[in-house]
Amino acid sequence: MRPQRRTLCALTMLLALELAQGRLAGVAAAAPALSAESCSVEGLLADIRKGLGSRSEAYRRYLRNLLRESAPTLPAAALRLAFARETHPVVAEQLAAALIARSERGADSSGLRTVAERLLSEPDPALRAAVVRAMRRTSAAESTGDLYEKLVHDAAPEVRREAATNLVEDNRFVYFGHHGPATDAAVMAAASAASSDPQVTAQILGNISTEAAGPGAAEAMRKLLRSDQVEVRSAAAVALGGVPASESASARQSLIDLYRDESDPRVRRALLQGIAQLGFAGAIPDLVQLREVDPGLSREIDAWVQTLRKGLPSWELILREKQRLDELNAQPASQSGR
Amino acid sequence: MHARPGTFHPFSGQRLGWILGGLAALVLLLGLLAHFLGASRRQAERAQAAPSGWPDARRKLAASSQRAAETEQASPKDSRPPDFEATTCWRSLDEFNEGVTVETFRKWAAALMASEDEHVLTYLKERLAELIGPDGGRAAEVLGWVREASPKEAGVFLSAIRSSQAVQQPAVAAKLAAMSLDKSLPLERRAGLLAALDTQKQLDAATLGRFTELARDASSGEAGWAATRTIGRVMATDSQRSGSQAAYLDKLLTIGSESSDDDIRYLAISMPMHADPILDRSALERYAKILTTEGSANGRDAAAHMLSLSQDKARVLEIFASAFRADGDICARWAMFRFAARAAGKDALPVMAVMASADPRFQDDHRIFEQIYGSGVVDFDRVWLSLPDQDPHGCLHRPD
Repeated sequence: MRPQRRTLCALTMLLALELAQGRLAGVAAAAPALSAESCSVEGLLADIRKGLGSRSEAYRRYLRNLLRESAPTLPAAALRLAFARETHPVVAEQLAAALIARSERGADSSGLRTVAERLLSEPDPALRAAVVRAMRRTSAAESTGDLYEKLVHDAAPEVRREAATNLVEDNRFVYFGHHGPATDAAVMAAASAASSDPQVTAQILGNISTEAAGPGAAEAMRKLLRSDQVEVRSAAAVALGGVPASESASARQSLIDLYRDESDPRVRRALLQGIAQLGFAGAIPDLVQLREVDPGLSREIDAWVQTLRKGLPSWELILREKQRLDELNAQPASQSGR
Repeated sequence: MHARPGTFHPFSGQRLGWILGGLAALVLLLGLLAHFLGASRRQAERAQAAPSGWPDARRKLAASSQRAAETEQASPKDSRPPDFEATTCWRSLDEFNEGVTVETFRKWAAALMASEDEHVLTYLKERLAELIGPDGGRAAEVLGWVREASPKEAGVFLSAIRSSQAVQQPAVAAKLAAMSLDKSLPLERRAGLLAALDTQKQLDAATLGRFTELARDASSGEAGWAATRTIGRVMATDSQRSGSQAAYLDKLLTIGSESSDDDIRYLAISMPMHADPILDRSALERYAKILTTEGSANGRDAAAHMLSLSQDKARVLEIFASAFRADGDICARWAMFRFAARAAGKDALPVMAVMASADPRFQDDHRIFEQIYGSGVVDFDRVWLSLPDQDPHGCLHRPD
C-alpha cells in the first residue's frame, strides 16, 4: 500500500471511530425528528421488535411499560390477534402482560382468559415460560382456576420454575401473605409437585408466607415433613413456622417430633427456625430441651436462644438479629474482638 | 448544518409551539406548586416517613387493601369500562435512544422534556443515568447543568446522577454535597441536590455533621427537610449493609430535638423507623425526652413507635405508663397504648390495663389485645393485623 493511501485509510478509520463515538458533534449530532403521536398496537410492536437489539435497558423497560400502560386504550381485538400470532418469547411476554393489564384494570375481562388458553395449548416451552412470567405479580391466580397446579406439572422444567416464582412473588408482593386462598393455592400447588419436582415444592414452600394458611394447607405441610427429599422437608419446616396461631400447636409438635427423628443437619436447622418462629421467646424451653438431641447443633440452638431472649416484636426483626449474630459468630476471633 | 425533515429549527413554528406550550405548562406548574406547597410537604413527609407511627404490617395491609379495592373496582359489578388516559408514543425515539450522548442530551431531549409525558420523562432519567454510567467526569458535566436548569430539567438531571453508578464515587458525592450547601442556590434546588445523595451507601462523619447543622438551621426550609430525609435513607441502607446505625441515629435525634421546624423534627424522629434500630440506653432516654416534651402529637406518636424497640422493656413500659398519664391527647395515648404491646408483647397487658382504667376509651382496646394474645399470637405484626379496627380513635389521618 502506498503511503498516501495508508494515510487516507487511517484518516477514514479515525473519522468512522469519531462518528461512532459521537465526538464530531457538528456531523453526528443531528437531533432525531421527535414527534408525539397516538399509540397503536402495530407501532408499539414495531418499536419493541427494534428495541430488542438495543443495549439500553432503560429503553427496553420504557417500551415494555408503555405497552402495558397503553393496553387499556388499545383495540382489544388487535391486541389479542397480535398475541395469538406472536412467536418471539420476549414479545409474547409483553403482549400477554398487556392483555393481563387490561383485565386487571377492568378494561377487558377476557384478556387473562386469552393468556391462560394460550398457555395450555402452546407447544413451545420457551414461549410458555415467557407467558407465565407475564402473569407474575398480578392477581391472575385468583381467576384462572387450577392453572397453577397444571403449570407446576408442565413437561418443561423452566415453565415449572417460572410458575413457582410467580406463586412466591404473588404471595409476597401482591398479597403480602395475608390472602388465605392465595396462600392455600400456593401450598397445594407445591404439595402436588412434591413427587414429580421436589425442587419446585421447596422453592414455593421455602419462600412464601404461610400466615394466612388454612387447616388443609397446614395439614399438607405437615405431611411434607415426612417427604423422602431433604429439600422438601427443609422447606416444609420453614413454612410450618409461619402458620397462624390456630395451627401453631400441632405445627410445633410436628416440628419437635421430626427433629428427634431427623438425621440431616440442614433439615434440623430448618426445624429449629420453624420452632423459633412459632413461639418467639416462648420457644426457648423447647429449643433448650432439643440441645441434647444433636450436640453438633448446640451452637445453632444457643444462637436462637440468644436472639429470642432479646424479645423482639416481629419475626422480620428476629431473623435480622439472628443473621447478624451468625455473621458475628462466623468471624475469626481476631476480627470479632474475642 | 442540514437538519432532517421535521427536525426542530431554532425559530420554526413547531419549535415556537413547544416553547409556548412549555412556558404555559411551567406557569401552570409554578401556580400549582405555590398553591399546594404547604400541604404537599407534610403529605410527602408522611409518605417518606412511611410507617408514620404505624408498623410495617399496617403499610402492608394498606397496600393489600388498595389492591383488593382495585380488584373490586375491576369486577364486573359495573359493566361500564373505566376511563383510561391515552398514552403518547414518540416517533424516532429509537433514533434518539441509539444516538444520544451526554454531550447531545440536553439539545436532543428538549422536546421530550417539554412534554407532560411521565413515561418518557422516566425514560429520560434512566437513559441519562446509563449514559453517565460509572464515569465521574460525565456525572460532573451533568451536575454542571443543574445550576441554571429549569425545575423539570434539574429533576431529570439530578435523578439520573442519583441512580448512576458514578454517584458512589467519593469525588462526585463530595461535589454534590458541596453544591447542596451553596447558599447562593435556591433552597428548592439545594433540596434536589441533597435528595440525589440518598442513594449513598454511607455518609462520613463530616458530611453527617454538615447536613445536621443545615437541618437545625431555622432558615433551611426544604433543604433542611431533604438533608434530614437523606440522613434517614442512607441510615437504612448502611444499616442493612453493615449494621451501622448509631452515628445516623445520634444526628437524627439531635435534629428531632433541636430543629425549630415541626415538619423537620417529625421527619427526624420518624426516619429511623426504616432501619428499626434497637435502642441503647442513651437513645432510649433521648426518645423518652422527646415523648414528653415534643409539641406535636404526631411527633410524640413517632417517638412512641421508636421506643418500642428497646431491650429494656421494663424501662419502656415505665416511660409509657408515666407519659400516658401526663399526655391529654388521645392519639398520643393510643400510640403509647399500642406500642407498649409492641415493646413487651403480652407482658405489657397489665400496664395497658392501667392505661385503660385511667382512660376508659381504651377499655375495648385492652379487651381486644387481651383476646389476641390469649389466642396464641406472638408476632406484633400479626397482632396488629388481627385488630378489628386499626384506627379506633380516628388518628390515622388527623392533622397535627
